[in-house]
Amino acid sequence: MANVTEKETINPELPGGLIPLEDWRLPETSVHRSIKGAIRNTWIQVRAGFSPDDEAFESLDDLPPLSRSQIERFAPDPDYGRIARLLLESVAESPVNNPVSFLVAPPFSGLRKALTVLADDDSADSRRLIMPPDNLLMSDSDASEWWDACDFSTPWVIPELASFWLRHRSGLALVRELLRRVAADEVGEGLIGCSSWCWQFWSYYLPDARFQPLTPAPMDAGKLGLWLGGLAAPASESGVVARMANTGLWVLPSDPDVLGEGQKAANFLRDLAALSRGIPGVALGIWQKALRARPEEEQLESQEKGEHQSMRAQCWVAPLNKLSLPVVPSAAGRGLEFMLHALLLHDGLGSDRLELVTGMKGHEVAPALNRLLRADLVEYHEDDGVWRVTPLGYPAIRRQLQSDGFPVDAF
Amino acid sequence: MGDLDLSGAFSGITTDALLEALFLVVLASIVIMLVQNLLPRVAHTLGGKPRLYLLASVPLLRLVVIVATIILVVPVLVEPSFENMVAIFGALALALGFAFKDYANSLIAGIVTLYEMPYRPGDWIEVNGQYGEVKSIGTRSAEIVTPDDDVVIIPHSTLWTALIANGNDGTDNLMCVTEFHVEPYHDVSAVLSLLRDMAYTSPLVKTWQPVLVTVRNTPYGMQYKVKAYPLAPREQFRFITDLTTRGAEALASEGVRMVSVPVTAV
Repeated sequence: MANVTEKETINPELPGGLIPLEDWRLPETSVHRSIKGAIRNTWIQVRAGFSPDDEAFESLDDLPPLSRSQIERFAPDPDYGRIARLLLESVAESPVNNPVSFLVAPPFSGLRKALTVLADDDSADSRRLIMPPDNLLMSDSDASEWWDACDFSTPWVIPELASFWLRHRSGLALVRELLRRVAADEVGEGLIGCSSWCWQFWSYYLPDARFQPLTPAPMDAGKLGLWLGGLAAPASESGVVARMANTGLWVLPSDPDVLGEGQKAANFLRDLAALSRGIPGVALGIWQKALRARPEEEQLESQEKGEHQSMRAQCWVAPLNKLSLPVVPSAAGRGLEFMLHALLLHDGLGSDRLELVTGMKGHEVAPALNRLLRADLVEYHEDDGVWRVTPLGYPAIRRQLQSDGFPVDAF
Repeated sequence: MGDLDLSGAFSGITTDALLEALFLVVLASIVIMLVQNLLPRVAHTLGGKPRLYLLASVPLLRLVVIVATIILVVPVLVEPSFENMVAIFGALALALGFAFKDYANSLIAGIVTLYEMPYRPGDWIEVNGQYGEVKSIGTRSAEIVTPDDDVVIIPHSTLWTALIANGNDGTDNLMCVTEFHVEPYHDVSAVLSLLRDMAYTSPLVKTWQPVLVTVRNTPYGMQYKVKAYPLAPREQFRFITDLTTRGAEALASEGVRMVSVPVTAV
């Protein structure tokens, strides 16, 4: 009965709601998968040191991928406006009762987009958007003046705190002053979104600061099934069916109660949750790459032989070992890693700011960016003119940075 | 000693036994060579702790192979009776005691090194004024490579008498100290804060380790020390260079001038 109640209250757009940062746990995977993954990653790292090929994303099967329109039907982007409203509800229900709430989430959690939509909203939940100044290098007194000029009389929102600082000795003043004012309760009612990498830096920089941040619950297999199924639901009223292309086992619907007799669930979602570290944007990116238009021959034959054919929209899923995700070039030296780390710390940077925070020269940054681009590890965002890491490259980037001793986030 | 017949112990050695023993020794040598060449190469493609663990396993694996070879070879050559063993090891002890005293001293210290681990491959140590990274630990000596790329051979017997300073002691945490000597009469607390920010914003710093800035008066001005940890021990010189460059720029931007020790005071 408890399970039924739990299922009824889980919202597909934000399954699990918000939880305290300390309660976040990495989705579990099987021991077999962990060992296999560790050996595979070590082998990739060792091999990359000797033969630096195959760095970009690659499909290792010959099955046809879905067209762009089919992907938009089966695995579209989430409704950020709806997520924003759910975030607000979840913050309001939270036992943490601070005037300013911090929402911390790993990259690709959709927090920045959701909170930006919140500012554009015409409803009563709308919040005033605070955007960073063009020049982030300023003295303490200039930072104080800048915040003085901001209007905190009505509820406000900062979609991404990482946009308010630069890792430079003159680029810390704005965030330092804001955090001081938040601690002193001088800024009214507000909501601050923050990338987990940025948060980790400031937690070390200000070890005594305690702001009780909240974070979206990690996407484990159950929540991921609910979320991915929910994304496709508006396109197909009766829901979507997704089955493994090699075994025919069922991926969606993920709820075992919905599956009929003889229909076995695959472990795909559990492995996907672990591979994507429970981050929805990363999971969605891999999911979109894994979808196929038709199954392998054996499955096609068994289906044609009269297996029960669902009336629901159906697609096929390539196993994860048939997807070669991007790899960080390991023999490339520290320069590439400095850039990737800086991009994660600031949730994206332009070339000029990359030079400033990494200490690299322009003639070093441009070729390095080009190499990362070719490896599918970074992409350029025309709308705000910054480079960001890609969702598909994120798991490898985080693993590589951690392995090489860089400070990484807690997610 | 009358019952311990050394020549008798070896009298039963046949050509086949010699060939078998030779084969085992050659095989062990090949395994040791592979371990000593392959594992460090693989280790250098990895980073962080896996690199250190792999490097540290090289001398241990070599010791295991040597011990296993001895255990396998001795019964092939001689009948492993109590008398034979005492005869062989007694003769060996005499030979080592008189002819190869220093060599045996280093061999034993080498075994103690593997047990006590005052240094391991990957550690940055200073012995008798020589500073460098331990590249390999042999049976008799350890090899370190200095920052100027000189290879220094340190006999393990040095362990008994010399002071050994180990910078990272088997971990990847190695504190670096960067000094700045500046003129007095400036805002000390502002400079302390400035140097801390400067260190935290270096892309090479381990932010989860403490960053400390200290200051003291000297006869020629004020001495600031920035103590922080680089991402990896082998980055230490690059890290100190980075902090020195950034620190000098930061101090200059605040109008704080550097000083040098007067020549007469040196």
